[in-house]
Amino acid sequence: MEIDRWDEEDSSKRVQVRFVTKLKPAYKVPPTSLAIPADVTRLGLSKLVNQLLQNVDADWAPEPFDFMIDGELVRMSLEQFLLAKGISAEKVVEIEYIRAVTPRKEEDPSLHDDWVSAVNGSIPKLILTGCYDGFGRVWKSAGSCSHVLTGHSDAITSVCIINQEGSDSTSIASASKDRTLRLWKINPEVSPNSPTNVRAYKILRGHSAAVQSVCAQQDTGDMICSGSWDCTINLWNTNELSTIDDVVAIKKRKGNNQVEESLMEEEAVSALIGHTQCISSVVWPQKQTIYSASWDHSIKKWDVEMGKDVLSIFSGKALNCLDIGGESSAIIAAGGSDPTLRLWDPRKPASSAPILQFSSHSSWISACKWHDKSWFHLVSASYDGKVMLWDIRTAWPLTVITSHADKVLCADWWRGDSIVSGGADSKLCISTGIPV
Amino acid sequence: MGTRFKGDRNKHLPEDDVAGQSSSSGGDDDDEGPSSLPDSPVDSGSDFEGFSEDGDSYDSGSSDELESGASKLSEKGADAVDTVHSSIDDETAKINGDDNPELHHEIVGNDNNSGDERSDLHNGVEESDSSEDEVAPRNTVGDVPLEWYKDEEHIGYDLAGKKIKKKVRQDKLDAFLASADDSKSWRKIYDEYNDEEVELTKDETKLIRRLLKGKAPHAEFDPYAPYVDWFKWDDAIHPLSNAPEPKRRFIPSRWERKKVVELVRAIRKGRIKFEKPKEEPRFFHLWADDSSAADKTSHLAYIPAPKPKLPGHEESYNPSLEYIPTQEEINSYQLMYDEDRPKFIPRRYTSLRSIPAYDNAVKESFDRCLDLYLCPRVRKKRLNIDPESLKPKLPSRKDLRPYPATCYLEYRGHKSAVTSISTEPTGQWIASGSADGTVRIWEVESGRCIKVWDAGDKVSSVSWNPVPELSVLAVAVGPDVLLLNTGLGNEENQKKIKELLTLEASPATVDDKNTVVSWLSDDRHGHEAIKLRHFKTVTSVEWHRKGDYLSSVLPAGESRAIMIHQLSKKLSQKIPFKLHGLPVSSVFHPSRSILFVATKKNVRVYDLLKHKLIKKLETGLREVSSIAVHPAGDNVIVGSREGKLCWFDMDLSSKPYRVLRCHPKDIASVAFHRTYPLFASCSEDCTAYVFHGMVYSDLNQNPLIVPLEILRGHSNSDGRGVLDCKFHPRQPWLFTAGGDSVIRLYCH
Repeated sequence: MEIDRWDEEDSSKRVQVRFVTKLKPAYKVPPTSLAIPADVTRLGLSKLVNQLLQNVDADWAPEPFDFMIDGELVRMSLEQFLLAKGISAEKVVEIEYIRAVTPRKEEDPSLHDDWVSAVNGSIPKLILTGCYDGFGRVWKSAGSCSHVLTGHSDAITSVCIINQEGSDSTSIASASKDRTLRLWKINPEVSPNSPTNVRAYKILRGHSAAVQSVCAQQDTGDMICSGSWDCTINLWNTNELSTIDDVVAIKKRKGNNQVEESLMEEEAVSALIGHTQCISSVVWPQKQTIYSASWDHSIKKWDVEMGKDVLSIFSGKALNCLDIGGESSAIIAAGGSDPTLRLWDPRKPASSAPILQFSSHSSWISACKWHDKSWFHLVSASYDGKVMLWDIRTAWPLTVITSHADKVLCADWWRGDSIVSGGADSKLCISTGIPV
Repeated sequence: MGTRFKGDRNKHLPEDDVAGQSSSSGGDDDDEGPSSLPDSPVDSGSDFEGFSEDGDSYDSGSSDELESGASKLSEKGADAVDTVHSSIDDETAKINGDDNPELHHEIVGNDNNSGDERSDLHNGVEESDSSEDEVAPRNTVGDVPLEWYKDEEHIGYDLAGKKIKKKVRQDKLDAFLASADDSKSWRKIYDEYNDEEVELTKDETKLIRRLLKGKAPHAEFDPYAPYVDWFKWDDAIHPLSNAPEPKRRFIPSRWERKKVVELVRAIRKGRIKFEKPKEEPRFFHLWADDSSAADKTSHLAYIPAPKPKLPGHEESYNPSLEYIPTQEEINSYQLMYDEDRPKFIPRRYTSLRSIPAYDNAVKESFDRCLDLYLCPRVRKKRLNIDPESLKPKLPSRKDLRPYPATCYLEYRGHKSAVTSISTEPTGQWIASGSADGTVRIWEVESGRCIKVWDAGDKVSSVSWNPVPELSVLAVAVGPDVLLLNTGLGNEENQKKIKELLTLEASPATVDDKNTVVSWLSDDRHGHEAIKLRHFKTVTSVEWHRKGDYLSSVLPAGESRAIMIHQLSKKLSQKIPFKLHGLPVSSVFHPSRSILFVATKKNVRVYDLLKHKLIKKLETGLREVSSIAVHPAGDNVIVGSREGKLCWFDMDLSSKPYRVLRCHPKDIASVAFHRTYPLFASCSEDCTAYVFHGMVYSDLNQNPLIVPLEILRGHSNSDGRGVLDCKFHPRQPWLFTAGGDSVIRLYCH
């Protein structure tokens, strides 16, 4: 009775809604339209949907949901949202619900000896980190280091996993401030109790200043590209069996500990010249296309065959990170020396204005990564110590991960449902259970 | 009487003519002609004179050629008149007005004065026609060919029907002789019809002359005489005609219509243009000050009396509630000064009746009278200038982006105040020297300290070699200048640096008092390093742009206060110029071999190649603390201990182009950006100011200086705020070194 009265009183502030979803049938609610109070927020909607699901299935475990109207996530009360978007409340509003994307669990941080400057989680078997102490590390899971990549004489700035088919071992490329790149080969199946030291099988020399970024060609993995402080992007071969010239180039080197070791050295295949300042980030998403971000405030798209830039986007800020992804893997996300993460759509002709800007960070953005499956989700790390998870359908971050105590220097997705991030507090943090 | 009359007639010819003309229109003047006759003798005398005068006037009026002839003529005429008069006198004596034609004939025959005879005849016949031109002929045969009478003895018949006999023909020779003798023969005409000779009178010859000239025959006739309206209009109350108004009076004229259409077309096509009517202001400003209108008049200026303020809504007897002050407000009025207190406090009354008498009525009207009486009737020439308009027009800060604005990175690690910073030329690292005796190198992008040296004493200045391949750091510590190998850069460069920083032979005499600078190798820091020991404390070091020379400033060094060292030859020398005053800082010109030395009061500019002083910049400041040179080299900024910043345009003058007073405390350092049009100053008040300083290549355009941003964030420690500031070499970023041992990076 009371509810009825309340209903009558508040009937002017009710909205007719219908809940729809693209989730599995188990998540589906009856497609009837309901009249719900207009001032309900995301939490209220989520409760409502859980209630409906419970009505269908008695032993339904409640789960948080996120709601979208016209492809945009609801981040305020329903009334405010409808007003802001100019959607008529007269009609039945269709609300699509998806599972809320938030990390459920924080794994224990994996401690390093120095700042964690690079992290890569592109294959589910392992996490690869680069550290300011010059060692690369391979982690099987949180806290269990399986390999240590030794050899760099200065901080590692970037690591990447070379995707090579038909080999049980994993190839790794690392870039360092000692002006070299090194290629490594590890067998992740072998799982010793204590971490094994691994030495590089190839040293790539050619940069005259610190190498800032490395990226392997996505599909074949025959080549890697690297961006450096000397304003060039170098392309390198990764094949272990090199040509005769390279065999000649094998050198005997004496380390400090008098151990003789043989290392292959190789020169760069070619260089892409065009940037005028430090190249802070390179991405090689397609066979013939390299994207690069630089401190000269520009993002360039390079045609590898021609060795020329075919597109240049001027951002106005020095850029630190770059990633390609999103809708049909074409949207450029980049962050730099200001707290704004910007998204460009290079398919839009004659416009260098970003299509989206996310400015919830409070300091430089050090890393940004698209989710490799989802078109909407990306993660960003910033010097303000926060890692933020973004859905491009809303201007607010989905989640803020504040497990770092100092600057976050790198972040990546791992296994599709986790975020790995490393920072100046020498920790590798893993947030898991993200249902994207 | 008759003769007179005759003369009159001749003379009155024109008048008669006029009368004749008018009479022809007017109708009968048969009666008038004779009636006017009696008057004419009275006029005649004067008329005669008038005539002669006329004759004179005619003479004078005619051309010179005619004059002589005319005068002759007039003489002859006068003679003729005389003869006529005398003969006529005789006649009158004989005849006594008898109208005998025969007698007349005789007379004519004697005198040959046909005019007289005719007029007599005319009078006698009493022909009605008064016109002289139509004299009734004596011969009455009419208009028949005269050859019919050729063989007859008579030529015709007179009025009585008697034959008029032909005259006896004169012999031709006699006639010629007679004419030759007769002086008047030239104006004698033979009248064939009447068979007589007619002698033309003077008037007649004149008349002929005038006719020949194509003029009106009579001189008195005025062809342009004013029209005399004979009709009396004033008392005509009835229409002249009873006929109905013709139709054409009511029909618009066709011609007019055509004309109007033509005009309308012309107006439409714009061939005819009208002056635009003067636009009247739409609203009349009723309460406007009339003084402006009075200004226009040139006479004594009218100064209107001040107008009393018009009453507003609050002075209504029943104003809206918002005008009524609350009790609190009324109370607060009591606390105000008399001048500020409102004169009138609005109150509400329910009706007009309940309004009390206005207590101030008398006082106010008296005041008003005083106002009117005592108002200063003097025009005050007060400048009415909006103070806002006096501000210089500066471009908006938004248009001058990018410039450093927000602090994003902090470089922490020093234990004490950071006294000096220097950027690596590529912008990857910065070096800092601190009062805790350490020199550190930081990575710009991450804020990580990558190298630390212990210099042993308070570091006063650090300077990174401007050549990117030669990453050597010059550090001023006490009396020493350390040249440190930073260990950055690739192997080749490292090799070169190591070679540079090795001394072949260590100098033996270190303790010599006379040596100003001694080059020592310093092994304390692991890397190869050189120590330049000076004889006095070094406060500042600065590299030359080519990275081989560096200058060090020893304020207490007197004549050897500024030393220049050459790294490749390991040589030191003092500058060969006399300094006036304590040196503070020295800077090399960014492109030429010129050295700027800032002393406490002035800046001296030396040419190092020509060994001479080029310029002396007078700062006018109490104590100069720092100097920076624009990358183009023609502009210098100088910071002072009193918080003033001077911008010198060296092309313009040796006096400051602009003096900016922005810092309340000492300016510790000033800096120019290498590529962006930015400069900055930092001060002990813990702030740094960023300015836009655009220098144009056009020499006519002065530099544009716009203050952009105040950068805060540093905290005060021991009275030391921001001790140094340097721009990032490639980005519009500013590094500031604080007394609070933190280096901050401000980004755009």
